[in-house]
Amino acid sequence: MAADSEPESEVFEITDFTTASEWERFISKIEEVLNDWKLIGISSGKPLEKGIFTTGTWEEKSDEISFADFKFSVTHHYLVQEPSDKDGKEELGEDALPLPMQDLLCMNNDFPPRAHCLVRWYGLREFVVIAPAANNDAVVSESKCNLLLSSISIALGNTGCQVPLFVQIHHKWRRMYVGECQGPGVRTDFEMVHLRKVPSQYTHLSGLLDIFKTKIGCPLTPLPPVSMAIRLTFVLQDWQQYFWPQQPPDIDALVGGEVGGLEFGKLPFGACEDPISELHLATTWPHLAEGIIVDNDVYSDLDPLQAPQWSVRVRKADNPQCLLGDFLTEFFKLCRRKESTDEILGRSAFDEEGKEVADITHALSKLTEPAPVPIPKLSVTNMVHSAKKKIRKHRGVDESPLNNDVLNTILLFLFPDAADKLAEVFENRASTSAGNNPPPESEDYNLFSQFKSAPSDSLTYKLALCLCMINFYHGGVKGVAHLWQEFVLEMRYRWENNYLIPGLANGSPDLRCCLLHQKLQMLNCCIERKKARDEGKRGSMSDRSPGGASGDGAKGGDHSGDNPDKEKEFGKSWDSWSDSEEEFFECLSDTEDLKGNGQENGKKGAKESVNLKPEGRLHPHGKLMLLHPGEPLYVPITQEPAPMTEDLLEEQSEVLAKLGTSAEGAHLRARMQSACLLSDMESFKAANPGCCLEDFVRWYSPRDYIEEEVIDEKGNKVIRGELSARMKIPSNMWVEAWETAKPVPARRQKRLFDDTREAEKVLHYLAVQKPADLARHLLPCIIHAAVLKVKEEEAVEDISSVKKIIKQIISHSSKVLRFPSPEDKKLEEIIAQIMSVEAIIARARSLKAKFGVEKCENEEEKGDLQRFVNSLLEQPEVSVVGAGRGPAGSIIHKLFVNAQRVPAVPPLEEELRRSGSQEERRQGVQSEFPPPTGREVILRTSVPRPAPYSKALPQRMYSVLTREDFRLAGAFSADTTFF
Amino acid sequence: MDEDVLTTLKILIIGESGVGKSSLLLRFTDDTFDPELAATIGVDFKVKTISVDGNKAKLAIWDTAGQERFRTLTPSYYRGAQGVILVYDVTRRDTFVKLDNWLNELETYCTRNDIVQMLVGNKIDKENREVDRNEGLKFARKHSMLFIEASAKTCDGVQCAFEELVEKIIQTPGLWESESQNRGVKLSNKEEGYGGGGACGGYCSML
Ligand SMILES: Nc1nc2c(ncn2[C@@H]2O[C@H](COP(=O)(O)OP(=O)(O)O)[C@@H](O)[C@H]2O)c(=O)[nH]1
Ligand SMILES: [Mg+2]
Repeated sequence: MAADSEPESEVFEITDFTTASEWERFISKIEEVLNDWKLIGISSGKPLEKGIFTTGTWEEKSDEISFADFKFSVTHHYLVQEPSDKDGKEELGEDALPLPMQDLLCMNNDFPPRAHCLVRWYGLREFVVIAPAANNDAVVSESKCNLLLSSISIALGNTGCQVPLFVQIHHKWRRMYVGECQGPGVRTDFEMVHLRKVPSQYTHLSGLLDIFKTKIGCPLTPLPPVSMAIRLTFVLQDWQQYFWPQQPPDIDALVGGEVGGLEFGKLPFGACEDPISELHLATTWPHLAEGIIVDNDVYSDLDPLQAPQWSVRVRKADNPQCLLGDFLTEFFKLCRRKESTDEILGRSAFDEEGKEVADITHALSKLTEPAPVPIPKLSVTNMVHSAKKKIRKHRGVDESPLNNDVLNTILLFLFPDAADKLAEVFENRASTSAGNNPPPESEDYNLFSQFKSAPSDSLTYKLALCLCMINFYHGGVKGVAHLWQEFVLEMRYRWENNYLIPGLANGSPDLRCCLLHQKLQMLNCCIERKKARDEGKRGSMSDRSPGGASGDGAKGGDHSGDNPDKEKEFGKSWDSWSDSEEEFFECLSDTEDLKGNGQENGKKGAKESVNLKPEGRLHPHGKLMLLHPGEPLYVPITQEPAPMTEDLLEEQSEVLAKLGTSAEGAHLRARMQSACLLSDMESFKAANPGCCLEDFVRWYSPRDYIEEEVIDEKGNKVIRGELSARMKIPSNMWVEAWETAKPVPARRQKRLFDDTREAEKVLHYLAVQKPADLARHLLPCIIHAAVLKVKEEEAVEDISSVKKIIKQIISHSSKVLRFPSPEDKKLEEIIAQIMSVEAIIARARSLKAKFGVEKCENEEEKGDLQRFVNSLLEQPEVSVVGAGRGPAGSIIHKLFVNAQRVPAVPPLEEELRRSGSQEERRQGVQSEFPPPTGREVILRTSVPRPAPYSKALPQRMYSVLTREDFRLAGAFSADTTFF
Repeated sequence: MDEDVLTTLKILIIGESGVGKSSLLLRFTDDTFDPELAATIGVDFKVKTISVDGNKAKLAIWDTAGQERFRTLTPSYYRGAQGVILVYDVTRRDTFVKLDNWLNELETYCTRNDIVQMLVGNKIDKENREVDRNEGLKFARKHSMLFIEASAKTCDGVQCAFEELVEKIIQTPGLWESESQNRGVKLSNKEEGYGGGGACGGYCSML
């Protein structure tokens, strides 16, 4: 019964419709499916509760059947119901109508916020749809439609199935369905009209009532009353005074300070366009009796402001452009760039042998020549200029991706120790931003170990944020390459001039952090050792006395006078160094004469060496005394074990594993790892002249010295001790090492750690990192920062659903990021999750602004409004308490009124509308609202059909009128007993 | 390599020095007890293929020294380990008390949060027991670990300890399979839930 027919495009081809066998087979397949799904027999269930269509769960089951070679999908849609008790079924009796027919009249679930269209149109809780399986297939011709309809009719009749069965006809987008429901002696036909042009009599209630009555063709007079439910929907797109978009922050203004919430060390946040695009207001008259109101082509009583029910939904912009999301996405794109820094900057940026660099380092070394020339203050700006000059030589001046101001600001942000004056400014700033940083030991602060990023107050983390910002605002990958190059030059400068790198925790690389962070820590370890050595050397030049005094000598030596500033700056690490080691390695090779220390090996030397002067003592052990001379046992100053980054450790473990599991392999492995043991033994011997292996073991591996209480000759209890069995094995490696060890204090031992070599390795590693490598190294930091950012923003809004998602993001990220080289797909997932959270928060803010939550002065109302706004985000449709007269209602009303005042529609259209639209011309009280975008009407009654003496049966007609189309969906029931 | 080896598992043995880590490992790999076994320097390494429930697994087992000074070396061996055996000596309470430190270290350095942990109380053949079996059990329960008492000397419980550990690892999804198995959270957007496909999304799609 489609009113307009379309040219058949992809129609379903059945070679011979009269082939009874094909048709019969089709019908029996339908029956089979109905049987399989147990849809046969009396449908049972309780009457529908209010709102159950929204609160309940809908499910669907599908199967595929074919008519000849044309495929159909059969789908059963149903509301999941508690299994109804058997008794209920019995009670229904023979006369009871099938449930679906009862549902037609039920008013508890009109206009559900979200449901299958057939549910909305007919109020059904359960139905089966047969539709062409392929999306662009269609059943168009009338004869074929009829054929399908009669198929389902037969199938229903044969099986006794009471579930309504529909077939979808015409093109899918038209959502045209016809169907049937059967019960004992009753049948309901589901019919539909879908029109593009709306005949004027369908635009108002009185016209619709006429059609309904005509369709019913009720033989009774007067006709039983028709009940009506009406919903008018209004759409608001024009938000007037609520200005959007949020301007992206201006980075150039940053040089002077913070602008637009953008601050170095922070990620930006928020939507650039309104994340809420429309507000839909539905005004509903849920139950009107016929004749109470007037709504015809000249007059209407339907004033939305007076409607008893209001509900609102918002339409969210699909993927609103948001700043944080953009930052993340752009940064992630860097990971896929192939170019090296050289290729990007168009020259050999880090050619370490290159003349350019040689020039520079030469110049620097001149500047930083030790002795008489005072050590210049560290100056990033110098470095910037020299690097920029180099770039200019190769390229046009203007091509330098980062301008000087920006670059200087960033470098000073990263290296606040660089310039005195500015340092103060930045110290202040640093302290404020430290306030924003989560305090150490807090859960947020420790996020770095979960994400394998870097602490949020570290240089690495700051660098990541700067690169992210540069990438977004300043020349993308070029800017990134440029900043990185400056960074690497700064690292080299610091190494060559013994300046510690700021923003890194002391000590060995922290394996919980990303590799790049570890590398920087490693470099810092190298700088620290080199610095100590250089200063120790100078110190011992002025004060040659060996032993503890030299440390203090170095400290009070020449440069503290020369450079008080520097002394102040680095004083802390200096002190901590001298706490732990009062002496400095002089890097003598182990072949050097041992200053007349005649001790050859432990055994022989034990007695002779008692008179030797002890060297390199850290502190007395405490309780322990040496076994033989009875002197206190001293813990020696030892060489720090070589700091290691995870890649070095990995390498080392591979080498060790490669030695295999044979006895020789194991022996070699132990030997390779014994350097540290040997060095410790030598230090121990130097600090404890006359000691023996037992003494060493008591300090180093106390459980290998076994003490026993025994009674001596005089009957006293004494404690006897001896080495454990495994230590006593002749020529085991411990004994062997002990015998080889000479009494040499740590400072004169061969270095276990070659800081020069390791520093060069790190610097080279840094220099060859492509922007893409860099982005991968730092992505965990960026994700870390982004998570902290959304957490911070959420804390302001307090949206519980967001809290939950953030928790999920954190646990997901910590799983993904802790593994080496996580997959791109997973990283993208994390970024998408963060973006969705940003969008939710942005939407909440947009709604809050629109509803003026902040402006609301009454605290109680404010709370209500806030809850209302939150539920708009979380629920598909929210009812407005008090409808048009409640606080939220009056705000919504105002929004519409304001939008009406401004002629948002161009004049021409306005005219068209005025002349063309019935709605506009109609008189009424609704002038403050725009014409409704949708008018829905449900008409219901129960009348006997086809004859006056037939059973009274449910009749229902749903209609919806929008700007584009008009639809009538009728369900007309008839008594079939005598027909 | 064996074709039918299911996977290689990395296992780590930690605990205070002298509790019998190397002896347990030697008992497991070579089924001997060597009273002359030297104290470990740094880390040692052994391989053994076992079959659990018909699955063959190659175990790469890292044995660590345990002394304070060697500890700086070991963190790298925590990385990527699927299983860890934490050993104490039932005749030395101090080795039991130190377990907390070892767990801390484990937490800090291991890269996976689903690593399978087993607590082994060793040297039950000796007379002078200081740590009761129940204490070990309690500790293991508190930290969701497997627990067994063993003796490297008499062979008690050793095979069982390793097998149990491997079985548990194999049962833990995502631990032994490729890392891509690691599922992410799906943030299903409920809004797009019902009526997404061909069905009507309700009234809103009409406007
Ligand atoms: N009685 C007894 N002694 C053991 C046992 N396991 C190890 N030991 C001894 O304990 C000492 C330390 O063992 P070892 O395996 O080297 O300990 P590790 O330092 O933890 O590797 C050695 O002397 C072993 O012989 C055991 O189960 N029973
Ligand atoms: Mg050992």
